[in-house]
Amino acid sequence: MIELSTEGLVHVYREGSVRAVDEVDLHIKAGERVALIGQNGSGKSTLVRHFNGLLRPTDGRVVVEGADAAGLAVAQLARRVGLVFQDPDRQIFAGSVRAEVEFGPRNLGMTVADRRAAVDDALSAVGLAGDTDTNPYDLGYSRRKLLALASVLAMRTPVLVLDEPTTGQDLRGVELVQRVIEEAHSAGRTVLAISHDMRFVAETFDRVIVMRTGRVVLDGTPADVFAERSWPALRSTFLEPPLAASVGARLGLGSTPTDGAFVSALRRVDGPAPDA
Amino acid sequence: MIGLVEVATALLVGTWTGPLVVLLVVLASAAGAQVLRGVGLVLLTMVPFLASIVVINTFLFPGASDAIGRIGPLTPTWSGLSFALQISVRLLAFSLALSLVFLTTPVDDLLTELERRGLGRRGVFVLGAGLRTIPRMAERTREIADAQRARGLDTEGRPWRRVRGLLPLVAPLVFGALTEVEEHTLALEARAFSAPVRRTPLRTLPDRPGERLLRWGLTATLVAVLVGLAVAKVPVP
Repeated sequence: MIELSTEGLVHVYREGSVRAVDEVDLHIKAGERVALIGQNGSGKSTLVRHFNGLLRPTDGRVVVEGADAAGLAVAQLARRVGLVFQDPDRQIFAGSVRAEVEFGPRNLGMTVADRRAAVDDALSAVGLAGDTDTNPYDLGYSRRKLLALASVLAMRTPVLVLDEPTTGQDLRGVELVQRVIEEAHSAGRTVLAISHDMRFVAETFDRVIVMRTGRVVLDGTPADVFAERSWPALRSTFLEPPLAASVGARLGLGSTPTDGAFVSALRRVDGPAPDA
Repeated sequence: MIGLVEVATALLVGTWTGPLVVLLVVLASAAGAQVLRGVGLVLLTMVPFLASIVVINTFLFPGASDAIGRIGPLTPTWSGLSFALQISVRLLAFSLALSLVFLTTPVDDLLTELERRGLGRRGVFVLGAGLRTIPRMAERTREIADAQRARGLDTEGRPWRRVRGLLPLVAPLVFGALTEVEEHTLALEARAFSAPVRRTPLRTLPDRPGERLLRWGLTATLVAVLVGLAVAKVPVP
């Protein structure tokens, strides 16, 4: 079943200016994990903001769960598509972590019991269960970013859109985000994420869409998009494949090699590995 | 300069003449500078404020007895209406003249020239930060509103919903602005903002003889008007 789609989507911010999104046709199935990559200004954020009505098409159509988004207000679309913004400081306002996370579920009219459960689950998922009474502004940037993620997770929307979720995160934070995406996927939710972190993209998503100047230039599995034949297209949008993909390709292991394949290849080249 | 003289005239010259003359000059200047659209937008934002001035004064002017008519328990008066229109015209002339200054003068040019003419670097920074903050705050407000709407905040429809929707905007806006100012200040300090040396101007703005003549002429006109008002007590209708 198609969860999100765009048909000939065009967005122009000001009359006469360039097309930020230019004739994009996209179909995302329910439960898919999709990464959206591309250089800055390639139209990624503009595209995803159409899914919950924050932007309306200049031309074309956006369909969310079979309904034309044009006929739905942002508050209605927010029940279906949860969007986590890149900068957490542009949304945090409450005096405590719990109040911040409760904001979305409250707006959606969840019952008190459902709300409590949704907030507890979301805070546990991002590792903030012990900080419910903390003032959000006392958290560091990376934890405020996780708080912003929790505040949208708690809305339990079928679609989750994340804008640069790993920016400013250390390894633990990236792993937490990966786990959140994995759990959302297991629960049947669709996840769409914008990212410049190619390793995170290669390790986390089933499908990668590459944008350049408002258009989709590549669309496929990570193995396809990071394969050697796609490198010119990636470089044209100022992206590089993850290190593992480029080294793996040179060793003849494909673009998504496993650790084991690397170890075997190195043994063939240099003899047994030191810990073997 | 034209805008500044108009601002002063609108404020200082009484009753109808000053503000009306200023309004005409503002509109002519705006048309000449091709910023009529911008002036129109400022005018549009003032409409609710002006309307409230007219309504309140027309119906509730203290001590007035020259009734225009009667609307239920309220009695509008000619004195109230006249006072309200006079205040409105003066406010309009002042605001539009001020908007003309900023619509026709790039902030960078204004700051460069003020610094060249001796305004200290701290003064220039405070003025520049204030002026540049306005478009940034507008952009930030839009972004914050979008983030809250994405979490289901309904800001469309009934007025009380819109008012309720303001609360989640205030904290990120204020905290964000404060943090930005602090970071901006630290970044400036890190780049030797307070170093006790004379700064070299990066550019000099052109100042043609015609412009100088106009500037001095306008200044002289303003002084003449003020002197006329204060000393000779020229009656102004």
